[in-house]
Amino acid sequence: MLNYLFRRLNLLLITALILSIIAFIISLWSNQARPAQDVNVFILYADYMGNLLQGQWGISLINQKSHMLNGLIAFSSTLELCLVALLTSIIIGIPLGIFSGIYRNGLLDYAIMSIALIGLALPAFWLAIMLIMLPITFDMGLPVDGNISPIYDIPMITSFQLIDSLLASDLYNLAAFTDRLTHLILPSVVLSFFLTSEIIRLTRYSISQVMKSNYIKAANTKGLTVIQIVFRHVLKNALPPIIPQLRLQLNTIISIAMTVEIVFDAQGSGVWLLTSIKGGDYLALSAAVIIISGFILLSSIVIDILQMFISPTTRKMLYADK
Amino acid sequence: MLINNEFNEQKIQSPLHYIWSIFLKNNFAVFAMWVGIGLILISLFADVIVLYSPFLQDPEHLLSAPYWIEGGTTEHLFGTDDLGRDTLARLIKGFQFTFGGALVITCAITFVGAIIGSTAALTRGLKASILHHLLDALLTIPTLLIAFILIVLFDPSYQNALIAVSLSLLPQFIRGIYNAIDSQLNKQYVVALQLDGATNIRLLRFGIYPNILEPIVTLVNRIFTMAILEIATLGFLGFGTQSPDIELGKLIADSIDLSYLSPWLIILPGLLIFIIIMVVNIFTEGLRHAIIQGED
Repeated sequence: MLNYLFRRLNLLLITALILSIIAFIISLWSNQARPAQDVNVFILYADYMGNLLQGQWGISLINQKSHMLNGLIAFSSTLELCLVALLTSIIIGIPLGIFSGIYRNGLLDYAIMSIALIGLALPAFWLAIMLIMLPITFDMGLPVDGNISPIYDIPMITSFQLIDSLLASDLYNLAAFTDRLTHLILPSVVLSFFLTSEIIRLTRYSISQVMKSNYIKAANTKGLTVIQIVFRHVLKNALPPIIPQLRLQLNTIISIAMTVEIVFDAQGSGVWLLTSIKGGDYLALSAAVIIISGFILLSSIVIDILQMFISPTTRKMLYADK
Repeated sequence: MLINNEFNEQKIQSPLHYIWSIFLKNNFAVFAMWVGIGLILISLFADVIVLYSPFLQDPEHLLSAPYWIEGGTTEHLFGTDDLGRDTLARLIKGFQFTFGGALVITCAITFVGAIIGSTAALTRGLKASILHHLLDALLTIPTLLIAFILIVLFDPSYQNALIAVSLSLLPQFIRGIYNAIDSQLNKQYVVALQLDGATNIRLLRFGIYPNILEPIVTLVNRIFTMAILEIATLGFLGFGTQSPDIELGKLIADSIDLSYLSPWLIILPGLLIFIIIMVVNIFTEGLRHAIIQGED
């Protein structure tokens, strides 16, 4: 166990080093106006790392705030969108995936896989534009831009606006919270299209692999019903392998979320980076590398370790099958 | 009864022939294959096919609808945009850039990724470790961020967008192919080949690659799908193809202001992307089924 933790820690440190070098190169390049020929690159890197650890990531040219603050606020908005979309797509995707995995090559399977294929094939930005037209065409009254209506002035506590607006309930009596929620509906629908199809695909594959194995045949001969087999044997074996697969998709998910935010003009990391680049504020890019990639790195290592605690098969792969 | 069995020899097909014969029985997939070949031909000969130049402006028909809608003309089958340029011609030209670019990227990634992935899977020690950590670091940067970085370091252009997309997809492919090879390395036949003294290239050619056809097809399909989506996304955000050239995502971005006057200008390019991805996915799904059945 300890051995594995050390290996993960080692991976974390080396990958973080590579990421910090990438961020350093970008910041070096963006400071090109000030030539520093006689200074050693290693000293510059040590300076950069020192500033980074002290939280001095530079000041934004656009709104004169720290890059770290801007980035964290923007990224937490993106994260909120991703989490809401992930929740809805897990609720929709996993049951559908289980159905199509159990009745593989049946009519139900084809129907569900067609839905999944359609969800993958629709480009996110196009779907977002189509959905923006929707409320006006059908007169539904859903907001299509921004994070929250500007009439609500919410004090920032956690920088997750969904939680902040809930905490500010003494000010606006939940009106701010519902407003934020309605602003999240359309972007999360777009993101869920991709995520749901991905989760259906992964669940189906994993379930159908488990359904082929011998202990399912044994359970069948014992006379268990399909529902009993699924709840007793299939789910426990099939669901844990989905998590690392989904983990590998994290960067695609965040990338799509950024695109969706740009279309819906929500103040997330997509809009933050876009305005920074257009305003010539390139230091934001290195801050983004540190924040976003750092988040993906940390979360994937946490998921790896959790995975080892949850599923005995992973532990077996690590220790027994050497 | 007299049956002459003398010359009725049992023909043993090679595995690939067998897989192909299973594939040909799947009508949907074969249809998708022919549509896919058609799409490749269209993208190769786009300049010959188009009736109008995609830049020719027709002042008589501004913003005309497709011909099946009221107000459309048969002169411009899919209508025109706000400068009177033929939508069909622009769609075909844009399709050439998106589809062709994705095709080139997929071929390059498959080639380079197969080499790097096989090397990483078959070597042990420091070299493999360095490669792994580098790939892990690249895998943590989202595509859009890689594209932003490359576009800031260089200028936004079609070529740089292609490079950004391939840089973000290459680690995924290498990771996939590494896992596929790694799962084969402990199998008995690979060990037997190794004990026979097979060189690494022989091991890959005869031992490993014939057995990982299915993961490879899935991976290539996924890379192609993501490449199309990402090229279009970069084009849409204005970081891909620059102005005189057209690309499907850029077509959508250009006509986004006209979305209420003529929604067809936005709907059609999106549908074209949708059709491309559907065709390719149905084709590869058929191929996968054939491979799985052929292996059983």
